[in-house]
Amino acid sequence: MHIIEFIFSPLLALLIGVFFLGLARKVMARIQWRYGPPVMQPLIDIIRLLSQKSASHGVAFNIGLVMSLAGSLVITLFLPFGKIAPMSNSGGMLVILYLMLIGPLGMAISSGESANPNASIGISRKLLLAMGYELPFLLVVLALMKAYNTTSITEIVSLQRDTGWSMFTFPLVLSGIAYLLILPAMLGVRPFEVVNAPQEISSGPLVEYGGPYLALATLQHALALFIGISLFVNLMWGGAANPVIFFLKMLVVFFLGIFVNAVFPRLRIDQAIRYLWRWPSLIAFAGLILVCVTGS
Amino acid sequence: MDRNQLKKWFQNPVKMAHKYSLHVVYFCTGCGIIEIPPSITARWDAERFGIIPVATPRQASLFIIAGYVSLKTLRSIIRTYEQMPEPKFTVSLGSCPINGGMYHDSYNTIKHLEKYIPVDGMIAGCMPRPEAIFVGVTHLWTLIDKDMADGYKRYRSNYSAYRANQEKILGKLEWPPLFPIHGEE
Repeated sequence: MHIIEFIFSPLLALLIGVFFLGLARKVMARIQWRYGPPVMQPLIDIIRLLSQKSASHGVAFNIGLVMSLAGSLVITLFLPFGKIAPMSNSGGMLVILYLMLIGPLGMAISSGESANPNASIGISRKLLLAMGYELPFLLVVLALMKAYNTTSITEIVSLQRDTGWSMFTFPLVLSGIAYLLILPAMLGVRPFEVVNAPQEISSGPLVEYGGPYLALATLQHALALFIGISLFVNLMWGGAANPVIFFLKMLVVFFLGIFVNAVFPRLRIDQAIRYLWRWPSLIAFAGLILVCVTGS
Repeated sequence: MDRNQLKKWFQNPVKMAHKYSLHVVYFCTGCGIIEIPPSITARWDAERFGIIPVATPRQASLFIIAGYVSLKTLRSIIRTYEQMPEPKFTVSLGSCPINGGMYHDSYNTIKHLEKYIPVDGMIAGCMPRPEAIFVGVTHLWTLIDKDMADGYKRYRSNYSAYRANQEKILGKLEWPPLFPIHGEE
């Protein structure tokens, strides 16, 4: 039973991530009054990309890509998806915080090997953006750990079952607002789509990826989307005991992200950092102080 | 996605994926590029057939050359075409790549594009309307179905002839040959 969960949860994450990518394209098309591609368009793209032959750019190019994908797959074992939570009892939030760095780091190693100037610009923007959202994110996570007196993500979820969603309980409401403000940056959607801006720097780190390499990079992107949304639902919207309810909650968060993505233009990287380190960081810091003062 | 084609999807998913996931790199130096924005935005919406513009030739599978080709842009066209992963398709837009069009007596314009890179389909017109681009793409689907869109195979087998043509008009090329050239030690 336990073994099945270990195999099942990464597959489920991949499936939901790819479904979200397709749904994002369809919903964006509908917002722009277009008919839009079929929802399974990313799957068609992946079949096409896997059948193509493409150039590799060295050993680190391959290893970095595999490392990034593997790091993202491992995180899905630690994130509870409803009741399905194969490894969430060991390590908890701290392991997730460490593992979340492996995805961007692997992509950085991989696309750095391709030696394209656009890729270097993309990587530097990705790491700068990560620096921007990690500060408020860590403050939010600290406030959560202090409020619930635990670092285990399953315990945070089960405690929320008694007290209600942590976003709407009194001392954590500021942290919840801060998390909502940095969520587009963590998902990499439009106001913070500085990393792979196709019109600006030729899709950034992905500029030299083609064929099967691009297919793996797409899967990694899908997993990153799944992880970002799933973490938010678990920490702030109370998780769920039922996988179906959990999926519906993820869908709501995802639609919020898509709507933000549809109406905002892209920020410059300095504007993005200035925004992230000003309002979300201030609110998250105020939230942490509020939690410490009121105690629990 | 057409439900009538489900049988085809199960028989040959790779070929169907090549048909319905054409990622396009547009070569936009000629006047034809003005017809591309309406075809990919809300008016004609090429994305419902899985056709989206991409930023780099590595991610692309369809190469649309929009308008006339000058000596200077031919160099970039060849390099872009060689960087695309196989299988790849080329479609030229307008009269100019076919026979020079209104630039037939220009000293600086390529008259026959298919002498330098293989072209799978040509859409005539000056300029073709977006509807003509869609008709061209549906013809390309038919060609892919019948395995007749084999430009990349022709490029591989006749590479020495293509390379000789390229060197004849551009002089010495600064990049190495993509495939081994026959008849040369």
